[in-house]
Amino acid sequence: MELFKPEFGLAFWMFIAFLCLFGILAKWAWPFIIKSMEERADLIDKGVAIAQEAKAKLDNAKAEADKLVAEARNEQAEILREAAKMRNELIEKARGEAADEAKKVTDAAQVSLEQARKEAEKQLRSEVGDLALQIAEKVIRRNIANDDAQRALVDQYLSEVETKN
Amino acid sequence: MKKAITAIIAVVIIALMALGYAEAAHHSAHSGESAEVNPQEIIFEHLGDSYGWEVPFSHSKRIPLPVIVRAQDGSWHAFMSSRLADGAQYDGFQIAKGGDYNNKVVQVLPDGSQYRPVDLSITKNVAGIFIAALLVLLMVFKVRNWYKKNGMKAPRRFTAALELVVDFVYTDTIRPIMGKEAPKYAPYLLTVFFFILTMNLLGLIVIFPGGANLTGNLAVTAVLALITFLVTNLTGTKHYWKEMFWPEVPTALKCPVPLMQVIELFGIFTKPIALMIRLFANMMGGHMVVIVFMLLIFIFGSMFGTAVGGAMTPLSVALSLFMLLLDVLVSFIQAYVFTILSTMFISMAHVHEHAE
Repeated sequence: MELFKPEFGLAFWMFIAFLCLFGILAKWAWPFIIKSMEERADLIDKGVAIAQEAKAKLDNAKAEADKLVAEARNEQAEILREAAKMRNELIEKARGEAADEAKKVTDAAQVSLEQARKEAEKQLRSEVGDLALQIAEKVIRRNIANDDAQRALVDQYLSEVETKN
Repeated sequence: MKKAITAIIAVVIIALMALGYAEAAHHSAHSGESAEVNPQEIIFEHLGDSYGWEVPFSHSKRIPLPVIVRAQDGSWHAFMSSRLADGAQYDGFQIAKGGDYNNKVVQVLPDGSQYRPVDLSITKNVAGIFIAALLVLLMVFKVRNWYKKNGMKAPRRFTAALELVVDFVYTDTIRPIMGKEAPKYAPYLLTVFFFILTMNLLGLIVIFPGGANLTGNLAVTAVLALITFLVTNLTGTKHYWKEMFWPEVPTALKCPVPLMQVIELFGIFTKPIALMIRLFANMMGGHMVVIVFMLLIFIFGSMFGTAVGGAMTPLSVALSLFMLLLDVLVSFIQAYVFTILSTMFISMAHVHEHAE
């Protein structure tokens, strides 16, 4: 069987061909290919690691930003609340002051009014008394018996008038 | 609609196949040629080596290849194989028919006896090996040049496919087994893998650049196994040899009668021989089955008549197509198996103390 008898010539050329092929590839091709492939694998691994880190950082940053926004919002609400409180207080205070002032003014007015009224009353009383005396003098000049008695009577009448008023 | 067209085309092709055979049988019967087929001869002609390369659709035409022989008197002769076509004699040489040197170049001595010269002819198989080596060279340099030119960019198309295979063999096989020593032995193992794969696949292509049954030839696989054998044993560590000649087993097993040593020594040789036979038998078997399926047409034709042979055609073609597809798979698997076993043998010869 020819197939099972290795032919020397074929083995010889096979050996030569393989050695040439191996020599060329081992010198110029395989080491370079392997090195490049490993470098690229490293590069890709590194790239993935960096990307993961970046993503983690981004996620962190987002959380931080959210926190900051929430804080700012709280602060804003606080400030608004305080401002509203202050405004109300101011208004209350102003209102109170105004009321006090108004009360003072009315009180003063009332006092002076009372005084004026009392003075007027006094004046009026004396004037009416004088007037009545003058009238009575005129009346009595014609009919005068007892001046003093007359005068007491007039005074009495005047008091009566006053109380009536 | 599309399906219907495909079905019609298939039927037409099958009918043509059957008719073609019937027509050929009719023709040969008329011309008085012997319709007898000798399957064994055809099989071995296809699996074996030859001094010229067949051309499709022709029985007689061959691409001539150089014949280089050393005659009995020690002189070298070189001429094209076309000079020996059809049994012609040239310079005292001719291709023997029958006998010990069937289909080989022999020198016809003056006394009429045949002398088998030292034959370094570039036969079909040798040329096939050169073509395969050239293809491997082109493919590997394609990948290398890509890296030279594009640096870290990922390759595309064919280069990417090649790189995927390199990555598969190196990163997934050689590196896990060899560890730190991987870069040192990877060039050899990768070369072996790509060379075997290319030869396997070329053997499946039936016309010119392919068609040579390379890895299905014992000489080719023997050389490959021999190189692995040499690499394994020449780079073996001290510990490897110590394990061989003074293994750590009970003394009774190794001292008076060197039982373990004989077994270990035997193992050194069986490993590469197993490599050689495995690749050879797988590839040769695949080729043989494909040819046998095709020959079924002619065997049935001569046994039961032309009609049966014609009817066999579609089945034969389908079966051999299936076998060829299977062989594509086997080509890859066998190349891979040879590589991974070589890797393991080499790494096993690199045992270090305490590294069991």
